[in-house]
Amino acid sequence: MNLPFGWLQFAQNRFKRQQKPPDGRRKTPFWSWVWFIGGTLYLALPLLATFSFSLQMKRDTISLQAYKSAFADPAFINSFLFSIGLATVTIIASIALIVPTAYWIRLRLPQARRTVEFITLLPFVIPAIILVFGLIRIYSQPLSIPFTSLSMGQSLTNSKYGTLILIVAGYMVLGLPYMYRSIDTGMRTVDVRTLTEAAQSLGANWYTIMTRVILPNLRTALLSGALLTFAIVVGEVVLASYLGVAAFGPYLFLLGQHRAFEPAALTFATFLLTWIAMGIIQLVTGGQGQTTGAH
Amino acid sequence: MAETALPSLKVKRSKPDWRVWLGVLPFFLFALLFLILPSLKLFVGSFTNDKGQLTLNNILQLITQQSILDSYWLSIKISAVTAIGGGLIGFLLAYSVTVGGLPKILRPILITFSGVASNFAGVPLAFAFVATLGRTGFITYLLSHFLNLKIYDAGFNLYSFLGLSLTYMYFQFPLMILIMAPALDGLKPEWREAAENLGATGTQYWLRVALPILLPTILGTMILLFGNAFGAYATAYALTGGALPIITIQIGAQIRGDVLHNPGLGYAMALGMVVIMGISLLGYSLLQGRTERWLK
Amino acid sequence: MRTNKFGIQLVVSLVVLATILSACGAPAAPAATQAPAVSAMDQLVADAKKEGMLTTIALPHDWCNYGEAIQAFKDKYGIQVNELNPDGGSGDEIEAIKANMNNTGPQAPDVVDVGYSFGEANKDLFQPYKVSTWATIPDSAKSPDGYWYGDYYGVMSFLVNTDIQPKVPQDWGDLTDPAYKGQVALSGDPRVSNQAIQAVYASALANGGSLDNAQPGLDFFAKVNQAGNLVPVISNNGLVAKGETPVRITWDYNGLAAIDSFNGNPKAVLVVPKTGRFGGVYVQAISKYAPHPNAAKLWMEYLYSDEGQLTWMKGYCHPIREADLRARSVVPADLAAKLPDVTGAVFPTDAQMSAAKDLIIKDWDSAVGADVKAAP
Repeated sequence: MNLPFGWLQFAQNRFKRQQKPPDGRRKTPFWSWVWFIGGTLYLALPLLATFSFSLQMKRDTISLQAYKSAFADPAFINSFLFSIGLATVTIIASIALIVPTAYWIRLRLPQARRTVEFITLLPFVIPAIILVFGLIRIYSQPLSIPFTSLSMGQSLTNSKYGTLILIVAGYMVLGLPYMYRSIDTGMRTVDVRTLTEAAQSLGANWYTIMTRVILPNLRTALLSGALLTFAIVVGEVVLASYLGVAAFGPYLFLLGQHRAFEPAALTFATFLLTWIAMGIIQLVTGGQGQTTGAH
Repeated sequence: MAETALPSLKVKRSKPDWRVWLGVLPFFLFALLFLILPSLKLFVGSFTNDKGQLTLNNILQLITQQSILDSYWLSIKISAVTAIGGGLIGFLLAYSVTVGGLPKILRPILITFSGVASNFAGVPLAFAFVATLGRTGFITYLLSHFLNLKIYDAGFNLYSFLGLSLTYMYFQFPLMILIMAPALDGLKPEWREAAENLGATGTQYWLRVALPILLPTILGTMILLFGNAFGAYATAYALTGGALPIITIQIGAQIRGDVLHNPGLGYAMALGMVVIMGISLLGYSLLQGRTERWLK
Repeated sequence: MRTNKFGIQLVVSLVVLATILSACGAPAAPAATQAPAVSAMDQLVADAKKEGMLTTIALPHDWCNYGEAIQAFKDKYGIQVNELNPDGGSGDEIEAIKANMNNTGPQAPDVVDVGYSFGEANKDLFQPYKVSTWATIPDSAKSPDGYWYGDYYGVMSFLVNTDIQPKVPQDWGDLTDPAYKGQVALSGDPRVSNQAIQAVYASALANGGSLDNAQPGLDFFAKVNQAGNLVPVISNNGLVAKGETPVRITWDYNGLAAIDSFNGNPKAVLVVPKTGRFGGVYVQAISKYAPHPNAAKLWMEYLYSDEGQLTWMKGYCHPIREADLRARSVVPADLAAKLPDVTGAVFPTDAQMSAAKDLIIKDWDSAVGADVKAAP
C-alpha cells in the first residue's frame, strides 16, 4: 500500500488534526477496557499491598505512624528535593545532547545509526557499580591533556561542583537508553525529514527548525523520556552512594535497612510524590492533546 | 516510497563527508568520556587476576565453566520471556489508552504512572510483590479465603522463575507503554478511514497497515525491554537471593561480595553481557532493516 | 654526696611517677612513654579538627548503634562525618578503597568495618595504628602489627516473629520441624554475604561438625530445604514483620535492634541457639590512602574508648574490650542485663574461616541452592 507522503499531504494532515479529533476510535472499546482494567489491577495491587502494610505500624490499628516517623527526619525532604533538582538538570542536559544527535543521524548520517544505538544500549549491560568505580578512577585525578603539561586545577571528585558534574553525567548515561529510544521513536513517528524539507523550503534556518518545528512536535516523546529519566534519577542509589552525594536513594537505603514499616511508608509515599511531580510536569508542558507547535 | 527531491537536498549532499560527522561529535565525546572510558578501565580488569597480573584465565573460565554458561542462559531466558510478555501486554495497554477509545483522561494517568512504575525495582518492588503474592500476601489470602484456592499448595511459588518474571513485568510493561504511546499517536486516523473506504475490516487494517508500520518500533522497544531485564540485579537479589543465579547476581557476587571476590572474573562476565547485547542488537538490526524496508 | 642525694631524689621521683601513672590503668608500657601520650591525644584531636572531615562507609545506623556513635563523635569533636554507601558489604568497602587510591575527595573511605576474614587478606590496603587501649584488645582479635583490630562480635541467632509463629525454635535442630514450613530464611546469599555464610558455618557446630568441619552445616541446610522450610528470599526486618519470613537467622545484635524498632508490633523474640553458638567478629582498619588520617585515628580512639565501646554495647553488640570493661566494672548493670547469654560461643581462626568459606561457597549450589525454589 503506497502511502502518499509529499509535504503537501503532510500539511493537509496537520491542518486536519488541529480540528476536533476525528473518529478513528469508533470501535467499541470493550477490549480496551479489558486490557486497561487488567493492567491497572496488576500495577495497582502491589502498591496497595505496600500501602496496607505501611499502615500497620501500630498494633491492631490502622495508623499513619510509619509516615510520621519517616517524615520527621529533615534529611528526607532535603534529599528528595535535591534529587528532584538533579533530575531536572539531567533531563535538560540529556535533551540538549540527544535531540540534535538523533536528528542529525536521521537526516544526514544514517550510517552512524547502528553504532549510536549500540552505545545507547551499553548502559544496560554495564552494571552501575562498574560505571561508578570507573568514573571515580578516571576523574579522581585532575583532567589533563596527555603528553602536555596542561591540566585542570583540581580533580573533578575533589570539588563539590565537579562531583555534581560527574553525577549528572552518570545519570545521563543511565537514562541514555530510554531517552534515545523515546526521541528516536518520536522522530520516526513525526517524520522529521519531511518537516525539515517543508521548513527549509519556507526559508527557516537550522535554529528555527530545531526550536520551532522539531522540538514542539516531539512533545510526547520528550515527555516520555523526561518522565523515565526523572524516575531513574530519584530512585538511583549506587552512583549517589559511591560519589558521596546526599541524594534521595542513599537516604532511603540508610533508613530502610533495618526498619520494618518505614521503608514501606517511604516507598509508597515517594511513588505517590514522584507520580504527582510527573503529573505537574505534564500539566505544565501542555499535556497530550496538543501536537501543534509553540507559537 | 517516492521522495520528493527538492533542490536543497541535493545541495546538502555535496558537502565533504567528514564534516557531517561533526554533528554527532558531542554525543560521541560524551559517550567516550563518561561511558566508554570508565567501562574500558574496568574491562581491562577482566584480563587481570586478583594479584593484578595479566591473564586470559577469566575469559577462559567464562566460556568453559558450566555454571557461568547456565547463568547466561537463565538471564537470556528471563529477559526474553519478560520482553515478549511485557511487550505484548504493554502494547495492548498503550493501545487501549491511545486509539482504543477510552476516556481521554485515562491516558495521562496511565502514562505518568508508567513513568514511575518503570523505575520501581529492587527491594521495594520485591517487597511489594511479597506483600501481594507471598505466602502471607494479600492476594494469596483473598484467594484462599474467598475462592478457597490455596495457590501455594497448588504449587505456585513467588520465589521461582515464574514469580521473578511476574515481578520483572512490573517495570517492563510501563516501559513499553511509555514508548509505544507516542508511536501509536502516529497512526493517523486518515489511514484507518482510507482502509475502511477500500473495504478492509478492523483486523485487516491492523494486520496489513497498522502493525507493519509499528513493527520496527515494537521490535526496537522489545530489545530495550530485553536489555532492561538482562541488566536487572537488585530485584532478583532481593526476591530470590542467589537461588536463581542470573548472570548479574554472579557478577555482583564477584565484585561486591563478602566472600568470592574475584573482580577480574566479574568484569569478564560483564564483558560477556556486552557481547550478548551486541549480538541481540545485530539480530534486531537485521529484523528492523527488513521491516523498515518499505517505510521511508 | 650532693650527687648521691640528687640521685636518690631522682630515683624516688621516678618511682612515684611510675606508680601514679600505672595506677591510671595505662597499658604496661614503660612509664617514660606514658607522659607524652596524653598530649599526643590532644595533638591528634587538633590535627583531626584541622582535617575537619571523616569519611565512613557501610555503617547503617541501626547496626550496633552506629547512629549514636557517629552523632556523638560529631558532637564531641565538631568533625563532619561523610557516610558512604550504607548498604554496602565488606567486599564493597574494599573495592571502594581500591577505586579511590588516588582520590582525596569525599568519595574515599578513611575507615572500614569489615568481616574478620577481610582483615589479614587486605593488609596492604591498610595503615597500622594502635589505639591507646590496644593492650586490652584480645590478641586473637587483632593483627600484631596494628593493621586491623576486632571491634565487636555477635552470635548467630534466630529472630522470631511470635505473632505469626508462637512456637519458638530453641536450637538449630528445631528448624527442620514441619511447623516452620516456608518460614525460615537467611539474611543473605551464602555465596555472597558474610552473614549468611557464617549462619551455615554456625549450624555445623550443632550438627556434628566443628570449627574445622563445616560440611555438616551444608547437610543441615539441605535438610531444612528438603523439609520445605527454607525460603530463598533475603530476609530483612520488613519481611519478618510482615510475617513472610517469621524465622530469620541473623546476628543477635541485629535481631535485638529489630525487636526494639518493632516496638511490640509485631511481638518478637531473639533466641540464641542452645548448641552451636558461633561468634562472628568484625574488624576495624584505617585505609592506607585515607585523605583524613588523623580524623580516622581519632575515630578509632573514640570507638575503642570506654564510651565508644559502651555505645556499641547499647546496640547489643559485644564490644571487643568487653572483658576489660566488665573487669573494671564500667558497664552499667541495666546495659549488661540486656545482652543475651552467649556463654560457650566459639570463634574461628582466620584459617578455619577461610576453609569453611571456600567449602560453603563451592557446595551451596549443589547442596541447597538450585532446589530452593521447589519448596511448595
